This record gives sequence, C-alpha cells and structure tokens, in this order.
Amino acid sequence: MDSQKVKLKLEHISQSYIVKNQVFDAAVDVSMEVRDSEFLVLLGPGRCGKTILLNMIAGLEKPVDGKIYLDGEEINGSDERIGMVFQKRALMPWKTVMQNVEFGPKIKGVPKEQRREIAQKYIDLVGLQGFEKSYPDELSGGMKQRVSIARAYANNPEILLMDEPFGALDAQTRYAMEEEVQRIWQAEKRTVIFVTNNIEEALYLADRIVLLSNCPAHVKAVYDINLPRPRDTIDPEFLRLRKEISDNTDLAL
Amino acid sequence: MRKEHEEIFLSEYERKELLRNRIYGVLPVLAIILLICLWFAASSNPASKFPSPMSVWERYLKILEKPIKDLGLMGHIWASLKRVFIALAFAWLLGISFGILIGWNKKANALLGPIFTAFRAVPPLAWVPLVTMWFGIGEFPKVLIVFVGALMPVVVNTQAGIANVQKEYMDIGTIFHANEWQMLTEIAIPSALDAIFAGIRNSTSAGWMVVLAAEMLGGKSGVGFLIVRGMDSGDYPLCLLSMICIGVVGYLLAIVIQFLERIICPWTAKKSN
Repeated sequence: MDSQKVKLKLEHISQSYIVKNQVFDAAVDVSMEVRDSEFLVLLGPGRCGKTILLNMIAGLEKPVDGKIYLDGEEINGSDERIGMVFQKRALMPWKTVMQNVEFGPKIKGVPKEQRREIAQKYIDLVGLQGFEKSYPDELSGGMKQRVSIARAYANNPEILLMDEPFGALDAQTRYAMEEEVQRIWQAEKRTVIFVTNNIEEALYLADRIVLLSNCPAHVKAVYDINLPRPRDTIDPEFLRLRKEISDNTDLAL
Repeated sequence: MRKEHEEIFLSEYERKELLRNRIYGVLPVLAIILLICLWFAASSNPASKFPSPMSVWERYLKILEKPIKDLGLMGHIWASLKRVFIALAFAWLLGISFGILIGWNKKANALLGPIFTAFRAVPPLAWVPLVTMWFGIGEFPKVLIVFVGALMPVVVNTQAGIANVQKEYMDIGTIFHANEWQMLTEIAIPSALDAIFAGIRNSTSAGWMVVLAAEMLGGKSGVGFLIVRGMDSGDYPLCLLSMICIGVVGYLLAIVIQFLERIICPWTAKKSN
C-alpha cells in the first residue's frame, strides 16, 4: 500500500491582505502534507484561513509566500487534477443538473455521448437519477450539494477539495450528507481535503484532522483518527477525541 | 390531471387563499373600466373638446371603411411595427455583440466606453436633421433612427451583465480549467442573459416610442403619421384612437418579449414557480 505516499504538500504558506490600509494576516507559515487517498479534514474556528488555504490549493488565489507541491511538482494556479466543491453558489443556475455535472468533461472537449455517460454515472452515484433535467433552483439545498459533488467527481480529479459544503444545510440534511460523502469516498477513493468548523463532522469523516488556529491560521495540531468506519458518534473514544480537540480549539470571535 | 389534484388536496385555507388571489386578475380589469368611466365623464362636457369614447369608436369604424393613404388602421400599425422589427433585429445583433465586447475586454471598454457614454446622452430624435440630410425621408432613415434609439439600452445592459458576473461563477470556470472563450460562452454570457433581456425589453419599448416620434416628423404611413394627420385636420378622435393603438401594441410587445425570455431562459421561469 502506498497510502502513506505524500500527494500534496504545502510548504511555509502565508497569505495576507491589505484591509483598510492595514496588513491582515490570514495564514502564517502553514506547512502540511496530504497523503494519497486519505480523507483529510481542515478544522478551524470561525471563518479564518481555512477557505483561503483551500482557495490557494485550488489556484483561485496565490499565496504571498510559500510553495504547493502536487506529486512532488510545484503547482501554480489551477490544476486539472484538483477539483472543488464550493460552499455556496456552487451550481450554474442556467444549466440543468446534467449540464452542470458534465461541465468538467465538456470543458476538456470530451464528446457529448461520452461525457453524458460519465455524468450519468456520478448522478446515479449521488442518488439524483430522475433529476437530470431539473434546474438547480428546483432542488433542495442537500440535492444541490449532491450535484456539486457529482460535478467535481465527473471531472475525475485526483484531489477533491470541499469547502464547508454542508455549512448551509439544516442538521438533519447535514448528517445525511456526511454519510453520503463517506459512502461516495469509499466507492470512489480520491484524496479529499474537507474544510469544516464542526468538530463532530470532522471526527465522523476524517482519516486525519489538521487543527488550525484562529486568525491568522497556522497548524496547531494534527490528529490521526483510527476509529473504524462508519463511526459511532457516541463511542467513548469518539467522545474522548471530541473533547480533546475541543479543548485545544481556539474560541472563534 | 393537475386540476383534479388541486381539487382534492386543497385545504380550507388554501381555497380561501385562491379566492383572495383572484383579485389580482380582477384589479386590472377594474382599472380599465374605471379609466373608461373617467373618459366618459371628462368628455361629457362639450366645452372640454375631449373626444368621447363613442366618437373614437365611430372613428375606428370609419377608418375601416375609408383607409388613409391606402392603408387601414392595421396597415398603419404594421407599417410602424415593420420599421421597429427591422431596427430591433440590427440593434440586438450589434448591441449584444458590442456590449459583450466592452463588457468582457477591459481594453476595448477603455477605448470605446467613453465615446459610447457620450453618444448615449444624445436623444435619438436629435439625429433626425443629420439623418434626413444624408438619407432623405424614405424608409431607411426612419429605421436608422429607431435603430439608434434601440441600440443604447441593449449595449448598456449587456455590458453591465457581462462585466458583473459573480466571482463564484468565474471560480467554477477556473477550477475546471476553462479557457477564455469557454469562460465567456459557458459562464459569462449565460449568467448575463437576464441583464441582456432587460436590455431587450427596454430597447423594444424605446424602439416603439422612437418610431412614432420619427413618423410624426415626416412620412406617409405608420401610427405616428396618423397622429399628425389627425392634428393637422382637427380630427382629434383619430389622434386618440392612434394613442390607444400605441398603448395596446406596446403592451402586446412586452408580453411577446416576456414569452421569448421564458423560452430562452427557462431557468428563470422555473425559479418563480
């Protein structure tokens, strides 16, 4: 097994912005490694740093300092091997479910019949068969995120970034979607980097949890979670880890 | 099918709600009736010289029998509409293309934007003297002036729609490695379609207004010509009749455009359901 192989590496990443003529540090000297096929959760309080780190990995913004390596090679800007599930406004409202999911292959120039086939496979995988012709505005929040996940998978990325994908969902839907993501991840093993501020969600999903500090973000601790899946949220070990991480988490302001 | 379901599943509250919603169908009719009553009242005094509904109706019957310049009422309306349609076709084609160009390309906007903004301030009818000097008073100059009037709203709205695409949508393109052309055709243009349609709506009503004004300044056909004809011969019922036609046609044009938008942007229609 090469599951210990390093897939993605962040080296001394820093990011800052100028806000009202003052330098605002969003992330300071973040270094971490993401292993091949693992489910890594970036856990942090508030809204600081996590999304920014993800955006830098995705190539949506450039770090002020530091380097990002994918399979040992430095990457600059967006890379086809990296896919992303966004927090909100994830879907293009002018495209149907099918058209949204086939977007990646279409951009790559995959012929229509072939990309429809790929898209259908992932629409089925996320359980949305029958909704291919629906527009996003006709779907519920949970269904929209399913489409978003299917779209990311349909592009066949090696690394999948998920930016608090369930933050806007109600608790019930959220639990269901966490189970779904786990099921999909087990069916289609990819490296996943999942951002959340919810400790329980992190513990439920992660192989490893990278705990980030409050602003500016830096790596506070890394936890290996070796609990068997699917995880039992009232298992004593689960609760112990939950308390340990909770005690170590900065308060969000 | 659907109707049956509604009958079965409607609760008492929903039934009342439906009844209450019926008022939205009644109110417009009420307004028209009130307007006509007001019209009767205003014209009942002979001193007001306001053409009465009856006289307008009689004028309508008369024009059916005796055409003006070989054209009946419908003929004149169609003459005006034809000018608008030709002008609109060119205005949409050119306006949307130009709007996309200056909305998408910052350099093009820097180069052409200021000139365009200055031209925008010139009312279409201000072009009449120059256009008449160049092209006389035939069909083409009228269409040209309508084109000028219809072009502006399309360009402005298209440019705004393309330049203000939500960053979130552009991020999707970046993540999926779309090239510049794909960014434009797959993301920017579709997401700007409602803005473009706002431009199309405005240009249609602007075009319809400008054509009438252009016809009033010279011509032998069209609804605008009828108004001038009525004014010159003291035939005020004809003026009022023409004005009513203008209003009705304007209303119908708006409905056609709305229908067009439903077909071209089905997602916006589904959203409102």
